[in-house]
Amino acid sequence: MTSSITALWPKLTSRQEFEFLADLVMSHSTGDHTCMSLRDVHGGTTRFANNQVIQNVNQRRGTLSITVAFGRQHGTASTTDLTAGAVRETLKQAECIARLSPDDPEYLPPLGPQTYLSLATSRPETSAAGPARRLDYAREAIGQCKMENLDAAGTVSSSVARVGLAADTGLRAYEERTEARFSLTVQAGDATGWSAAAHRSIDRLHVQERTLAAIIKAKRGADEPQELPPGRYTVILEPPAVAGLLSWMIWMLDAKSFYKGTSPFSGTLNTRILDRRLSLFNQPTHADLLGNGFTSEGLPVIESGWIEAGVLTQLLHDRYTAQEHQIDPVPTLESPYLSGERPIGTRVDDLIRTTQRGILVTNFWYIRPVNPSDLTLTGMTRDGTFLIENGEITSAVRNFRFHESPLRAFTHVDAYTTPAEAVTSETGKALVPAMRIHDFNFSSATRF
Amino acid sequence: MSGPLWDELAELALSRARAAGAEYADIRLLDTTTRTIDGEDRRLSHIRETTDRGFGVRVLHRGAWGFAASSILSLEEIPRVADLAVEIAKGSASLAITKVQLAPEPVHHNRVVTPCRLDPFAVPLEEQTSLLMATMEVIQRHPGVVRSHASLWAQRDRKLFVSTEGTHLEFTLLAMHGDCTATAVHGGRFASRSFSTPHLRMGYELIRDTDFAREAMRIAEQAVEKVRAPVVEAGRYDLVLDPEHLSLTMHESCGHPSELDRALGYEANYAGTSFLTPEKRGTYRYGSPSVNLVADNTEPETLAATGYDDDGVRCQKWDIVREGLFVGYCTNREVASRINEEQSRGSNRADSWGTVPMVRIANIGLEPGTSTLDELLADVKRGIYIEGHGSYSIDQRRYNFQFGGDAFWLIENGRRTHMLRDVIYHGITPEFWGRCDGVADRRHRRRYGFITCGKGQPGQSGWMTHAASHARFRRVDVIAGDVKADE
Repeated sequence: MTSSITALWPKLTSRQEFEFLADLVMSHSTGDHTCMSLRDVHGGTTRFANNQVIQNVNQRRGTLSITVAFGRQHGTASTTDLTAGAVRETLKQAECIARLSPDDPEYLPPLGPQTYLSLATSRPETSAAGPARRLDYAREAIGQCKMENLDAAGTVSSSVARVGLAADTGLRAYEERTEARFSLTVQAGDATGWSAAAHRSIDRLHVQERTLAAIIKAKRGADEPQELPPGRYTVILEPPAVAGLLSWMIWMLDAKSFYKGTSPFSGTLNTRILDRRLSLFNQPTHADLLGNGFTSEGLPVIESGWIEAGVLTQLLHDRYTAQEHQIDPVPTLESPYLSGERPIGTRVDDLIRTTQRGILVTNFWYIRPVNPSDLTLTGMTRDGTFLIENGEITSAVRNFRFHESPLRAFTHVDAYTTPAEAVTSETGKALVPAMRIHDFNFSSATRF
Repeated sequence: MSGPLWDELAELALSRARAAGAEYADIRLLDTTTRTIDGEDRRLSHIRETTDRGFGVRVLHRGAWGFAASSILSLEEIPRVADLAVEIAKGSASLAITKVQLAPEPVHHNRVVTPCRLDPFAVPLEEQTSLLMATMEVIQRHPGVVRSHASLWAQRDRKLFVSTEGTHLEFTLLAMHGDCTATAVHGGRFASRSFSTPHLRMGYELIRDTDFAREAMRIAEQAVEKVRAPVVEAGRYDLVLDPEHLSLTMHESCGHPSELDRALGYEANYAGTSFLTPEKRGTYRYGSPSVNLVADNTEPETLAATGYDDDGVRCQKWDIVREGLFVGYCTNREVASRINEEQSRGSNRADSWGTVPMVRIANIGLEPGTSTLDELLADVKRGIYIEGHGSYSIDQRRYNFQFGGDAFWLIENGRRTHMLRDVIYHGITPEFWGRCDGVADRRHRRRYGFITCGKGQPGQSGWMTHAASHARFRRVDVIAGDVKADE
């Protein structure tokens, strides 16, 4: 592939073009209020399996969405056609829907002008990256695995998005966001090892180191795994496994459900729900998290505390519920940072070394709620599950199914590391510690 | 939209790809309109109509794939995207070991249209919003119910598929769905009960023919009964599963493992692989002799019955499991040749113009047996009758699964008695299907569709319908779905 491929790059919507579209929509709208959002994204993914590329794709998609309100009646229409004629048609469609809609008692007009954090959401090396750079990383991962006679399956992706918001109230927001991701599963016979990364900068994926980490896991698991009985075990959860449990907690923090008594957190605001040493913050300015300047509604993203010394201090409010309960400003939680006082060290090895007997869990897979009342979840261990005895990994074990609530597990914490990057296929990116937890419930085992 | 302009764009893309050295190319142009109306707690929170237009060009160059797509449908954009697809394929070829060989398929020229009595986009919006408001009102009037949800969804796809082999296919496809949920609270806990029409390729007649008021009343009553019901006692039970519940069990434990790309390792980094590896085909006992699982992408109104797939392969009907024996896979043109099949099964689908097609689960259904539901229940001393979808999770090779449900009734001495709550059953796929000893007859057969089946990187949503009659499974492990019960 030659560098001439960059001549084939599309030109994404500039700030000036976004302003033009916003003026077009606002000047033609007959609504009491009008809000418009734009997302114009160019990116691609190189996917490989069995040590060769199986899929190599590139996409440019521009989407414009318009919401119009007449009083408390509102309607939304969107289009991927950004020509002036199509935009006017979309506006008409939104007006038509709004006129035919019943009153929405919870409708709020768009926000007025806001002040946003100026975040480094875009990196030029990522926006300039394309199929050639992605292929280089795939080649690197495959090459390392082939040298070890192992099979590699994974993806390298990169994208650049221009995102804008505008409303008749004077609200204006515009941001360029880049993102690069790498994930790899290494197969050694029946055993697998896994690693993943996501960053604004494609230079920060650390493909070589992460490939090596996945190779080590796969090779460790290549011996016949022990079959241990289900039951309660001391576990060491690596950061992706912790993030898997934490994500479900975050998704369930909805304030409206809380006030209506249909939340696992009902009655627990300002009470201790986790180990007293643990705190959860939103840290949009952290260089290793994927913080944006504003939300899809135009709310400014802000640093905020959510769980402090184990006490739940905040809920996820929509604008209406926030107004009902006088929450201002409305906190957001896109960049989770979970940390604890006096961590045992910086590495998972620091936890392994101090564990008499336990199970090391690399990651969880297919986590789903079982009982939303107490946030009981289930899921499988995946890509590296090992027995620890006397401070050392002694063998691989067959994968377990867990049946456990993070609200219970995170109060059984013995020790933890400093926060580290956690990216999984089912969650976004977070910074969380690896944790040692006692009495973690594995309810059954599988065949491998 | 698929008039002369689309043909012109398609021809331009394919001639450009051919000129750049592609040995095969196809283009899909799509114009998708989706209407979603969502209500919660006696209000309509979202009424949205989206138009999603664009095209994707897929090319094979020296046996390797390249794909590029854009939402700009213009004569200027087509060459850029076609050239980019070829350049990407050249890169893929540099990391290819096994060259892609497409299984042969005759050239097709056809037009596929979903028959419907009522175009959902022509039915007045007020009728649809009034229906949802009335449904939520019925639910929330019921004492003990604190929350309600109701929604309608409709989608129309206009698509043109053209390939360098000469296939030219036009589609106008519809799909429709409606549902509602009641949530009740009692004693510091809450529970929901839902009603859902199937997702089917039908018009608004699917909604008009459904008695939402009756269903809303039923689920409101059952939500209150469910939240007050005793928690299940862990142990081994005979299970009788209703068709809606079975649709999810089949999807996860039979549908996914029968995708050949998974069995060949293509999904190893995300959705996973399959315990149904190729050497097991024709010899592996998947279930009891009562278990016949058939893929049928030709049954009218079902989601995967689109006439042709995104390889341009005609939709078919074939066996996956015959009298308990694993015999067949879902395939596309790329992977069919890897197991020496002469033709693809036509299960290659993308979820939009911007994504590349891959093997998806077909309309896999459990063939009816000879019993009635009452006969299945009559032979159960202590068991549980399960309706609808609840919690679900399965390992990445599809062995170890765990399912909940939407509603549960204790069966004692052949009779459904009272509701239970927090029922969870788990097992190993072939052992579970080996415990199936009875399937109800065709009169009990129902169809349920899925539109959010996740697979692929970047993730895509697959669409398919699973049909079943009630089925009975002996001595299945059941646990209670809360952590306190485990302590």
